[in-house]
Amino acid sequence: MSSASKAASGPEYELQAVIRRLRTLLTSRDYASAASLLTQGKAHLLRLNALLPSSNTPRAHLILAREVLEAGALTSLHLRDMDAFVRYVQQLQGFYVLPESVLPRQGDNASKITGLYMLLLLSRGDYAAFHTVLETLEVGGDDRPGRVEDDKFIQYPVRLEQALMEGSYDRVWGETKGNRVPAEEFSIFSEVLVNTIRLEIASCSEQAYPSVPISNAKNLFFLESEGQVVEFAKERGWTVRDGRIYFPHQEQEGLASEKDILTTSKQVIENTLGYTRELETIV
Amino acid sequence: MAEKMDGVVLEKEEEELETPKVSTVIEKNIDNLSRAVTQFDARFTLRALRAISTVRKNLDANSIAESILQTFLPNNEDTARFLLEGVGASSDSIPTFLKKSDAQMSTLQTQQGHRGDVLPEAEVYLGILIQVYLWDNKHYQQGAIFSEKLVTKIRTYNRRTLDSLAPRAYFYLSLFVEQLEPKAPSSQSPVLANRRILLGALRSAVLRKDTETQAAVLVLLLRNYVVTADYSQADALVAQTTFPQNAPHNQVARYMYYLGRIRAIQLRYTEAHEHLTSATRKAPTSAVAVGFYQSSMRFLVVVELLMGDIPERSIFSQPKLENALRPYFRLVQAVRAGEMQGFLKIVTENADTFRRDGTYTLVLRLRQNVIRTGIRRLSLVYSRISLRDICIRLGLENEESAEYIVAKAIRDGVIEASVAHEDGFMQTKQAGDVYATREPAEAFHERIKATMALHDECVKAMRFPMNQHRLELKNAQEARERERELAKEIQEGDMDDDEDASGDYNALP
Repeated sequence: MSSASKAASGPEYELQAVIRRLRTLLTSRDYASAASLLTQGKAHLLRLNALLPSSNTPRAHLILAREVLEAGALTSLHLRDMDAFVRYVQQLQGFYVLPESVLPRQGDNASKITGLYMLLLLSRGDYAAFHTVLETLEVGGDDRPGRVEDDKFIQYPVRLEQALMEGSYDRVWGETKGNRVPAEEFSIFSEVLVNTIRLEIASCSEQAYPSVPISNAKNLFFLESEGQVVEFAKERGWTVRDGRIYFPHQEQEGLASEKDILTTSKQVIENTLGYTRELETIV
Repeated sequence: MAEKMDGVVLEKEEEELETPKVSTVIEKNIDNLSRAVTQFDARFTLRALRAISTVRKNLDANSIAESILQTFLPNNEDTARFLLEGVGASSDSIPTFLKKSDAQMSTLQTQQGHRGDVLPEAEVYLGILIQVYLWDNKHYQQGAIFSEKLVTKIRTYNRRTLDSLAPRAYFYLSLFVEQLEPKAPSSQSPVLANRRILLGALRSAVLRKDTETQAAVLVLLLRNYVVTADYSQADALVAQTTFPQNAPHNQVARYMYYLGRIRAIQLRYTEAHEHLTSATRKAPTSAVAVGFYQSSMRFLVVVELLMGDIPERSIFSQPKLENALRPYFRLVQAVRAGEMQGFLKIVTENADTFRRDGTYTLVLRLRQNVIRTGIRRLSLVYSRISLRDICIRLGLENEESAEYIVAKAIRDGVIEASVAHEDGFMQTKQAGDVYATREPAEAFHERIKATMALHDECVKAMRFPMNQHRLELKNAQEARERERELAKEIQEGDMDDDEDASGDYNALP
């Protein structure tokens, strides 16, 4: 009997060893070796048939699988491998929807992973997917009440999205600073987000200001030095003259309206012809 | 929500007759069904379905059982047993029924001689009556089990004359399943298991070109996804399927409603607005279906606000909506005034209502609209205002925020203005003449398009009696003659009476 149980627990035992090593690697921030260890872990999971939860997967295996996948998600984030991260998140969803009686919530990182996933969506500008996730959380598809309001991991992307939509970019800038993020993984996205808002601000400024002094632009675009401002202005195709940045929007507007007339006349002719045809058929 | 869907089914007017006996009504309608089968005319089936609402009030287990025995004995005992189990198991009377059926079998056999096989339509019709009965008496568990069996039977029959009946069966199946514990948002809800059945039904309906079932099942699936907030799956379903063109009016309305909700979540407000508008317009006007109308109106109002429009005041004074939409009315007022504090207060006060209506997350998104309307008002009132004042009036955190927000509003075309960065004020540009732009022409075109679509739909909705064209063919000769005469008269210019009319035509550009 003992030999039978030992044989059954063979891959499980190895998996536990893998997880222990994973933990130490993660604390020592050796993500590259963690990634290679993860491949082993997943192979063990496959042997246990626990890579995807099914109704007859034992609870112990579920817990192990969840830990491996969560570690995988965080590792791929640190390695900046976003596609792998998304894959892990999608695999984890199957575990997160399991009821408390099958897989206890304790010790999982569901909120953190979901929060990070939402942040990823936000940094990619995929607002539709962001709101779809948020709606699922709000309706409480996974039996966790009050999750959106009280969870700091979920609140963070929600706050950011609100600020982004409103246009309070300085709040986004504030939130992305090191000490404001809820966990260190969240700051991985800060760079992307700051870039996003910088581009947003740039396109807003083109419309809103006739010109801006370079010294002010430094704060406006959250750049480090005036040299960077000049470089940024060149990238956008702005003219820098006498210490000021001039936005070339007026000329463009003129061009646009001229083009407008051309397309409009075609439209008008098309519409009128359409009316005539309809009149013909009805009357 | 359940009452709402329920309500839409019952869109028929109540006929206050002297309430004939239930079993006779059923018998009459089974006759209707057989006529539908022999003449292949779905109108008789619809007539039978309409009768459900009249018998509904007086429906009880005994009269259904009686009808079952009358219809299916002696030759279709298996069917009778299946249906009796559906009704009978709800009470303790199942043995009595079966005994009675045995006893009656012999008498009936002598009375009626042999009756041929009974139509499957009759079986399904009685099955639907049983579903209605179980629903009205809140036997949800049993109803779900029975419905599942009934639906399987319908699929195996594969008869086109069942197409009008099948949607009802699926509809009640979904209703029952939704009532089972644990209820919808939970990930363990039986609703999830129901998806498999509905998807199977959808597949067969498409293959069999059964548009009525296809439409109904699509709507039920969407509803299923929406209750569990699986919007990405719902979106995938919509993308992979086509909603049948000639679907019944009520199904179109529901489909539009769910599609509108999905699009609203995905921030595709223009589409959402379009779908929800047609949902509200197509919503049945009778009092029983008022829930559907209210619910789609709620979403429409929120989506309009999100688009930056202000819904018309008259919406909220409709008697059907006045109470149901009160929180939304206050919401609109707050957004219109651009008052952040008032807005936040209304949201917290009515959070539970909004959550129940499923609009909560949408309402939260309105925050930015409140700010924008505020900025817009300020830009209309002042030709020049300092960022500091904007900050104070809109309740923003600091001037820096205000500057970015104003800049974004300018970029998004909310206001026509520019910001003087060093002096810290917003300068409004002179508003141009709208009539010099193409906007009026566009609005005009939109309206013409809408009326054209209405006209086309009217033409499509007309019903022409069968074989009428043959009669017309007979008259065609005469008509041609008449035409020739007419042409001659016109040529000769004899039509004094119509001179004015023809003058009008000439006057048209």
